[in-house]
Amino acid sequence: MSYYLQFVIVGLASGSIYALIALGYTMVYGIIELINFAHGDIFMIGMMVAITFLDLLHVTDKNPPTGFALVGILAAAFLVAMLACAIVGVVTERIAYRPLRNANRLAPLISAIGVSLILEDLGKLWKGLNYISFPQIFPNVFYSIGGVQIAAVDLFAIVVAVVLMIGLQWFITYTRMGRAMRAVAQDREAAALMGVNVNQVISITFFVGAGLAGAASIIYGLKFGSTIYYIGFQLGLIAFTAAVLGGIGNLVGAMLGGLIIGLVQSFSVLIPDSLAPHSHGFGLPLGGAAWMLAIIFAILILILVFRPSGLLGQNVPDKV
Amino acid sequence: MSTSEIKSPVSEAASVETPLLELRDVTKRFGGLAAVQDVSLRIMPGEIISIIGPNGAGKTTVFNLITGIYRVTTGEILLGGQTLAGLSPDRIVRRGITRTFQNIRLFNNMTVLENVLVGYHTRLRATVLGALFRPPHVRREEEEAREKALKLLGFFGPELVARQDEYVLNLSYAEKRRVEIARALAAQPKLLLLDEPTAGMNEAETLDAVKYVRRLRDELGVTILLIEHKLAVTMGISDRIAVLDYGKKIAEDLPEVIRRDERVIAAYLGRPTSVDEEQVSAE
Amino acid sequence: MSASSPWSLDRSTRALLWKWGLVLLVPVLVYTFLWQGDSVVNAAFLGLANPNNSTYAVATPGNMVQALIFSALFYLLVTALSGYLLAVDSGRHSFAPVWVDVVLYAVVPILLIALTNDLVIGIALSAVAWGAYFLVRAIARRRFNRFPPAVAPADPPAPIANAELRRRAIFGSVSFGVVLALIWIVVDIVFYVSGVFPSLLLLTILLPVRTVLLVVGSYFMGHFAARVAQNFTVEAYARRNKRREAKGLKALRPQRAQLTPNDNPLRSSGARVIFMAALLAFVLLYPALDSFLFSYGTGGRLAGYGDAGYYVILALGLNIVVGFAGLLDLGYVAFFAIGAYAWAIVGSSQFGQLFNIFLSNSVASGLFWPMLLGAALLAAFFGVVLGLPTLRLRGDYLAIVTLGFGEIVPIVALNLRQITNGANGLVGVHSPGFFGLAWNVTTPVPYYYLILALIGFTIFAAIRLRDSRLGRAWVAIREDEIAAASSGINLRNTKLLAFGAGAFFSGFAGAYHGAKLGVISPDVFSYGDSIIFLAMVVIGGLGSIPGVIVGALAVYSLYVLILGQLDTMAAVPHTFMYNFHTTIIHIIPGFTFGNIRNLTFGVLLILIMIFRPEGLIPSARRKRELHENLDEQEPDVLGSLDVTFADPAFEAEVRVE
Repeated sequence: MSYYLQFVIVGLASGSIYALIALGYTMVYGIIELINFAHGDIFMIGMMVAITFLDLLHVTDKNPPTGFALVGILAAAFLVAMLACAIVGVVTERIAYRPLRNANRLAPLISAIGVSLILEDLGKLWKGLNYISFPQIFPNVFYSIGGVQIAAVDLFAIVVAVVLMIGLQWFITYTRMGRAMRAVAQDREAAALMGVNVNQVISITFFVGAGLAGAASIIYGLKFGSTIYYIGFQLGLIAFTAAVLGGIGNLVGAMLGGLIIGLVQSFSVLIPDSLAPHSHGFGLPLGGAAWMLAIIFAILILILVFRPSGLLGQNVPDKV
Repeated sequence: MSTSEIKSPVSEAASVETPLLELRDVTKRFGGLAAVQDVSLRIMPGEIISIIGPNGAGKTTVFNLITGIYRVTTGEILLGGQTLAGLSPDRIVRRGITRTFQNIRLFNNMTVLENVLVGYHTRLRATVLGALFRPPHVRREEEEAREKALKLLGFFGPELVARQDEYVLNLSYAEKRRVEIARALAAQPKLLLLDEPTAGMNEAETLDAVKYVRRLRDELGVTILLIEHKLAVTMGISDRIAVLDYGKKIAEDLPEVIRRDERVIAAYLGRPTSVDEEQVSAE
Repeated sequence: MSASSPWSLDRSTRALLWKWGLVLLVPVLVYTFLWQGDSVVNAAFLGLANPNNSTYAVATPGNMVQALIFSALFYLLVTALSGYLLAVDSGRHSFAPVWVDVVLYAVVPILLIALTNDLVIGIALSAVAWGAYFLVRAIARRRFNRFPPAVAPADPPAPIANAELRRRAIFGSVSFGVVLALIWIVVDIVFYVSGVFPSLLLLTILLPVRTVLLVVGSYFMGHFAARVAQNFTVEAYARRNKRREAKGLKALRPQRAQLTPNDNPLRSSGARVIFMAALLAFVLLYPALDSFLFSYGTGGRLAGYGDAGYYVILALGLNIVVGFAGLLDLGYVAFFAIGAYAWAIVGSSQFGQLFNIFLSNSVASGLFWPMLLGAALLAAFFGVVLGLPTLRLRGDYLAIVTLGFGEIVPIVALNLRQITNGANGLVGVHSPGFFGLAWNVTTPVPYYYLILALIGFTIFAAIRLRDSRLGRAWVAIREDEIAAASSGINLRNTKLLAFGAGAFFSGFAGAYHGAKLGVISPDVFSYGDSIIFLAMVVIGGLGSIPGVIVGALAVYSLYVLILGQLDTMAAVPHTFMYNFHTTIIHIIPGFTFGNIRNLTFGVLLILIMIFRPEGLIPSARRKRELHENLDEQEPDVLGSLDVTFADPAFEAEVRVE
């Protein structure tokens, strides 16, 4: 039993990352009915920015900061990455999506693909074609709970994500801007008639959504230690699946979906390699790890076919 | 106009017993809300039946149930004695029911003629290979379809025929309505559902619409079920009127009776319109 | 106007003559003298006469004959065009748009082709120029209200009698022919006198033959032009319609823009006939012409055209799915891969490995032809299979799911090692052959003609599909699924047919690519390719067949040729490119032209979506559709399900009225 607890914790940690990214997808979709293809690449930009920032501060694996310095630097890194991502998000909305708000459904989608291409090449230009390492400054500490080794960084990931998600919920539920966002998501025209500045609300949605991706990028960097210019695509697909699983447009759903996907990914490693001699043909060729993306994608298809509104999906009747 | 080309083959004698369309205690729930409750209705071939009722009474929902867009929660809908349960809208078209929509749904980026040709979809049999190689029978089929489409457009007068290659975007509202009806007729239906066919029309256009709705039944032999808000119109052309309120049928009878029915008056305060009833009845 | 002599024309007709004469003369002269038009024949002769002189292009008698035929055809068709335009022009339209058309669509491409010394790159750059022109014009129209589109006069132009048409046509053709011949004589003499022209013998043979051909030929071309013009008059249509009605066929209803006489003759049907004839001659005779038009590199160019060609087929196939039926497929590369693997498995030793049947080389090669169909059918089958889960999804979700498929298929190919040989791929894939007759693999010419044939078939099929009952159904479901279903269209089957038909053509492309490349492995395909295919269709014009062809060529050259070339150029020291590159590296260390490929595309896609969503050569419907939406602001509000009737989620989300 305790053996599996490891996988649970690891899964929840990855899931936290997916959840934070998924929130960005679901918020944008909820408000302008657009799947922001470029969202994963915004995450990638966040990582690049953070790496450059830590570089400037001469923070490396070799002499990691400790104590208060560590806390300070981590906080600064989070702030910088989240801000950078948020700005990129707002800028892309303004330039590539706003002019197309009244066009047919295809146009903003293609535009989003365009933004994704641009960001990926920016990543290439900035940091080259190969994997770049993220300074492993989080202390490599393990806690022993119930006889299992649990990494501190995993707990950190889960805690940070939970804090941010609670903060987001509070923001959406109790602040004026949060109410405005919910209103615009439900009925844009009515909200406008009520005096809500729709453009501003949409910009803020992008700001917050992208900012969360920025937070996710720091956690990812601390945990996995490296990145590459095309990471946004894969992670984006996974996070999008999480958002759909939870119910697109639903914030709690995105969080839940992220955690579930994280767990699925974590446990898929256990699927044996059907080609290996001791497995007796059971499992998948080359093992579960090689098919991870395919598994996640299969989940996406299954949800969309059998339960498109997701686990917690909302059904707001629209007049057609 | 030759009725034999478009009239549906309905035998008058046999249909005395079997209604063309029958709704038996049809109920439709959306979540907890019952949009339509225990509605029953029988329509005989060759009738013009109107459904009236205040906004939100469930009239369009009834249409959507009949045409397969919604699935019935409980109850049955039968066409010529056969149930329509579980059929998709396109299969229901093949069985012989077509409709128009309250907010005209034409294919905006097709011409007038093309819109009507789409209506012929179920009557044509060309497949992918037929499209590629265009054997003689496919070519003949297309030519005949065009001719019939033009004849249908001609039913309303020569104007639409003259404008057959125009994109429907450029048409007036009344003209669009006619094209939509022509498209619905192309499938050679036994039953035609018209959802507020005179919505948005002025007096002259309304009178014109009333005229051609009657001709649809008289000349083409199509049974008609219509939703209509203008009471004068319904009183004038309907054989019978059914009244819905809050999803329930509260009355069904001859127009003269409905007009005096207190429940109807209470539920649905008919506003006097500028269309005179006598004018309508005289058409 | 009723005088019998062709020279006693009235003022307005003479004005027209100047107009068209000049307008046509400019591109023809550019083609002939600025580029290599005259050398097609000259070089052919010289090459034949001096087979051992390496400065002249290699010329076989066969090549020479083809070159001669093409040159003759080209110039005669131009004189025909001159006559036609003069005959048909109603004289009401102003000069300026004509000049813009000619400069934009004739002069600029010729110059660019000459400059870049490559046909496809030249056309691609022309497409860029067109795009830039449209962009500037759109901005000028939107922001500054300048250059509004020309408004045609409300009433049709006065008809012109057939006899008058013929007079004008002959006059136009002959005048043009004579003037051209004279100019050419002068230029040739100048060249000879200044020593550029190498051979007096050639001059004395060529000059008279050409002059006579032009003058006499133009007379007959005038007649031909008259016939073409007369074929499109109102009376001609009336006569045709009478005959058609007698046979029970429907009447033809041409639009005013196609008829004779015409306000904008360059775009009329008759002109199109002439353009198509010239284009056909050019494309068919091209392999022979290439060595004369461009001084070197014929082999490489033809091979490149073969590659560009299968991109065109892919664009046409994707156009069916995205353009006709409106289903945003982002995983199209999957079907391409399937088609390629299909042939690669059958046409290589893998077949023996899998089925224990060992085929001789000639048998394997011969199997290419049935496998062309086989690969297409297999791809179509998978198109249907992968389309099934997407049936109930609306636009964005459809895109993501198809994107995922595009990702997954290469993974599957990689992992199913027994069938596909995994990462190592399949080598030794045979080229096509007829049983016994070997495919000449030393020249790319056979592949060129093969891809032409495949493209021709694909265009034919696409047009037929578009104008059929199925094509109408596709447009209907793209426009309004609920109305379509309520008109009797089975949404599921229609969508699956779109996926299948679209995938079918990618099978052709895949098999062709496998045979030509000889090697197929998973890294031949990538997710990025699907985006490129989509870009081709979008940039060219969704749903427009000529549009996506041009889009495919433009995107292919930009992506594969140009940006790839720039990097090679930048490696040569002391050139502009090299210096440019080294300066940029200081600021952006990761810079190569390869690295900014996607960025360029991204920017292009966004710009096109904002300023010209209908693409370079829009289909008539699309232009209307996209600009209409921007004006009318119709909110299109649905959930993730587009239309699934009788489904509780659909009913809860959507109220159909």
